[in-house]
Amino acid sequence: MAETLFYLLALLALAGAAGVVLAKSPMFSVLSLLVSFFALSVIYLLAGFQFMAAVQIVVYAGAILVLFLFVIMLLDLGQLGRGIELSTAAFHGRSARLGAVLAVGLALVGLISAQRGALPPAAPAAGHEGGIDGLPQLAALLYGRYGLAFEATGVLLLVTMVAVVALAKRQRKNLPGSGQGGGRRGGA
Amino acid sequence: MNLPSEHLLYLAAGLFALGVLGFVVRRNVIVVLMSIELMLNAANLTFLAGSRLHSTPGSPDVTGPVFAVFVIVIAAVEAAVGLALIIALYRLKHTVASDSLSEMKG
Repeated sequence: MAETLFYLLALLALAGAAGVVLAKSPMFSVLSLLVSFFALSVIYLLAGFQFMAAVQIVVYAGAILVLFLFVIMLLDLGQLGRGIELSTAAFHGRSARLGAVLAVGLALVGLISAQRGALPPAAPAAGHEGGIDGLPQLAALLYGRYGLAFEATGVLLLVTMVAVVALAKRQRKNLPGSGQGGGRRGGA
Repeated sequence: MNLPSEHLLYLAAGLFALGVLGFVVRRNVIVVLMSIELMLNAANLTFLAGSRLHSTPGSPDVTGPVFAVFVIVIAAVEAAVGLALIIALYRLKHTVASDSLSEMKG
């Protein structure tokens, strides 16, 4: 039962990923990415990672994809009918072929390396009814051994926030109706 | 549940391959960013499958989820910076096609 559910969800996740690549409108790309992420979240749940499933929904579906949607709507890019925009005409054939070869090769490498050798015997996979990511252990590791990395992540987020504000800020000369509006001048 | 962890790895390989395909083939920069998100998700799935392979019933191995959390933070940061760059690009060129960026003759 759970196995068939997993395979169905895996198919759904792959279909969503294919939809991201194939959709004509970026809006549909975001929506099929959402489908893929939800399927992945349920797969995490099935595999015993309850916390990761919740984080997947809250952070990816709730924050990152909404950010994508926001930018698509802000720039009014959601319209249909322009066809799937592959790379530019001169680059078109080469790029598509390179992409196909890369993708097939990577998939093969992944399949082969998952199939043979590299993995330890999957004995423990049997008894994980209670879930793998015991939250106490995860918290102990995250705030203990990887505490410095965790703090660095916080600094990274702060720096990113500053950088994004600086990047997306309207430059003065591009402002359409800005005669001598705001007081701040210069910079950037 | 008795799901073999190898099958998680198969799924991760497929997702990563599709992400690479989208990254190389598509021209819309927003879709390229989404392909990167797809690849990061495949990496997450690989971390979790590895954690699953290495844990025993008594003692769960939680290093995989910890790194998956870090990957998610990086994905959020990357999406924010990338989308800010896209907004700046759109303001400059009124398009989001990656082939409109040829000033550096790469």
